[in-house]
Amino acid sequence: MAENFEQHSDVSAADLARLTQEAQAEATPSTAKIIWSEFKADKPAMAALFIIVGFILFVMIGALFINTPKMMETNIMGYFNQPFTPEYWLGADSGGRSVAKQLIVGSRNSIGIAIGLTVISSTFGICWGLISGYFNGYIDWGMQRVYDFMMMLPMTMMIIVLVTIIPHYNSVTLTLIFSIFYWEGTSRLIRSRTLAESEKDYVSASRTSGTNHWKIIFREIMPNISSLIIVDCTLSFAENIGVETGLSYLGFGLPSQTPSLGTMIANANDPNNITQYWWTWLPAALEIIILCLSISYVGQVLRRAADASQRQGAAD
Amino acid sequence: MSLVEIKDLKVHYPIRTGFWNRITDSVRAVDGITFNIEAGETYGLVGESGSGKSTTGKSVVGLEKVTSGSIMYKGVDITKKANRTKLDYNQDVQMIFQDSLSSLNPRKRIEDIIAEPLRNFEHLSKDDEKLRVLQLLDIVGLDADALYKYPHQFSGGQRQRIGVARAVATNPKLIIADEPVSALDLSVQAQVLNFMKKIQREFGISYLFISHDLGVVRHMCNNIAIMNRGRLVEIGTREDIYNHPLHIYTKRLLAAIPETNVNQRAAHRASRLAVEKIYQEQQSKYYDENGEAFPLIQVSPTHAVALPENIAKQLASQEGEVQA
Ligand SMILES: Nc1ncnc2c1ncn2[C@@H]1O[C@H](COP(=O)(O)OP(=O)(O)OP(=O)(O)O)[C@@H](O)[C@H]1O
Ligand SMILES: [Mg+2]
Repeated sequence: MAENFEQHSDVSAADLARLTQEAQAEATPSTAKIIWSEFKADKPAMAALFIIVGFILFVMIGALFINTPKMMETNIMGYFNQPFTPEYWLGADSGGRSVAKQLIVGSRNSIGIAIGLTVISSTFGICWGLISGYFNGYIDWGMQRVYDFMMMLPMTMMIIVLVTIIPHYNSVTLTLIFSIFYWEGTSRLIRSRTLAESEKDYVSASRTSGTNHWKIIFREIMPNISSLIIVDCTLSFAENIGVETGLSYLGFGLPSQTPSLGTMIANANDPNNITQYWWTWLPAALEIIILCLSISYVGQVLRRAADASQRQGAAD
Repeated sequence: MSLVEIKDLKVHYPIRTGFWNRITDSVRAVDGITFNIEAGETYGLVGESGSGKSTTGKSVVGLEKVTSGSIMYKGVDITKKANRTKLDYNQDVQMIFQDSLSSLNPRKRIEDIIAEPLRNFEHLSKDDEKLRVLQLLDIVGLDADALYKYPHQFSGGQRQRIGVARAVATNPKLIIADEPVSALDLSVQAQVLNFMKKIQREFGISYLFISHDLGVVRHMCNNIAIMNRGRLVEIGTREDIYNHPLHIYTKRLLAAIPETNVNQRAAHRASRLAVEKIYQEQQSKYYDENGEAFPLIQVSPTHAVALPENIAKQLASQEGEVQA
């Protein structure tokens, strides 16, 4: 059988190394290189990327050096201390607790939850959508009914109830509870694209090439909807920072002894704080705005990199 | 014994309507067709758009769920999935797709595209596999530097060759070629067709050649089946179909082949209009009361036409006289 090909082609084993090298010289750059050149072509996005990565590293590492229980102790002497003093960089809140330190630990908690939530809910939503869209028929029908049922549940209320029922919850359990309810949007979006993608001939070609269903779903179809996945993940990440924040703000997120961006913004519940003691809530609010904007900027670049026709960087 | 025997194949798509989404009707994309493909030959399947050609082709490679009928290969019915798996059927039967761009995964490099069937069926070592891919690229006339490129970096003709390379990678016995050249311009068409013929000679492949263009089919096929609304209306050798067409639908397709000789253009137009007129007026003679084709009747050992017996015999003898 191999002879059959040898007979009709001049290429033989001896040429292999040379031809491979020639081909490598002409190779199209890898995805990572394309993404990098896309960032280099877009300076604001590059800045946004550094802000996000730098900030996340800073709070993750910085939080390790802060003794949280001690930080959260009330200190009468620091009652609403003014910002920009040597001891309180960003001032102190009504309990005399340092806003700067709370901001670091709180960001760590909020971002950690957002990352965890994004990873779990997006992974689940993507798999659900891909499988449901690829095997249309009874499997799709069943999976969509589960989806409909989940959509029917009043999400915020369910989360509040679960949080109230579970006695000792922390960031991890909270992340898991959120994850139960946050995969649906992703799954619908992915399913609709998968439905369209499964109709294409390259999927048929893979099937006649003997590739099994799972490989087709995750190795053939998924890379083709990667731009959608990337955009959806970045947007969910930005949104998920808001999820925890919003719930903590309402008082149903993390316990009050655990600082988070939400508990800090909740300081703005007090009209006095809004007008006089702006430093208790403004830094957290600014941080969320800057982070979300940066994330969406980075998301745009990733989408462009994933979509050959929109590239700005000097790829190819 | 023929390589592939298709018997009374039917593919119906359900139409669901109403509140309960019940099946109320069906699209009869393929509605009872029978023909055999011999080893080493090119079998032409011709018909206008929507006549069910692609559906037939996809059923033969095992991509379509068949409603009824059988497709026999090596003595087993490959419309059943278990049989296809047992035989490694797709190692022997491959497909070249109608749309070359959509049939190549835009996210995969050419090497991975062509090696895909090899990885699943032959399990070669890494070097052997790469060597095979390079040989295949060489056979279809592409340079080795195509290896690490992506499909969008090639022209339509080059992409179609990549599709051909993938189809011949496992040295199959039958390739379903679904309008392999209809998206290409004329000069590239000839290139790809000649090249498919060359591979056929060298590897002894059979083709099921699907096309809506009788001009192209004449260049490629020894035996031809004409398909109309899911049924076969005429089967015969190239000689039978081109020189003694019996069914009005075949005549109409033949009349639609563009005439390149300018001097004969007027005559060609007149004959086309005449055929069109008969087609409009004599619907009831050539189709049954539901507007569907009749069962096939054998008029010579190689030639069959879908007409009532008496009309078929009468037309056949008329044709004979004209030829005499
Ligand atoms: N998945 C499907 N669901 C419902 N109807 C379908 C489906 N696929 C094809 N059909 C119908 O079956 C008929 C035959 O389609 P098919 O693709 O086989 O035509 P074709 O002869 O290949 O046409 P073309 O020359 O345009 O490629 C068409 O009327 C089409 O509408
Ligand atoms: Mg078709």
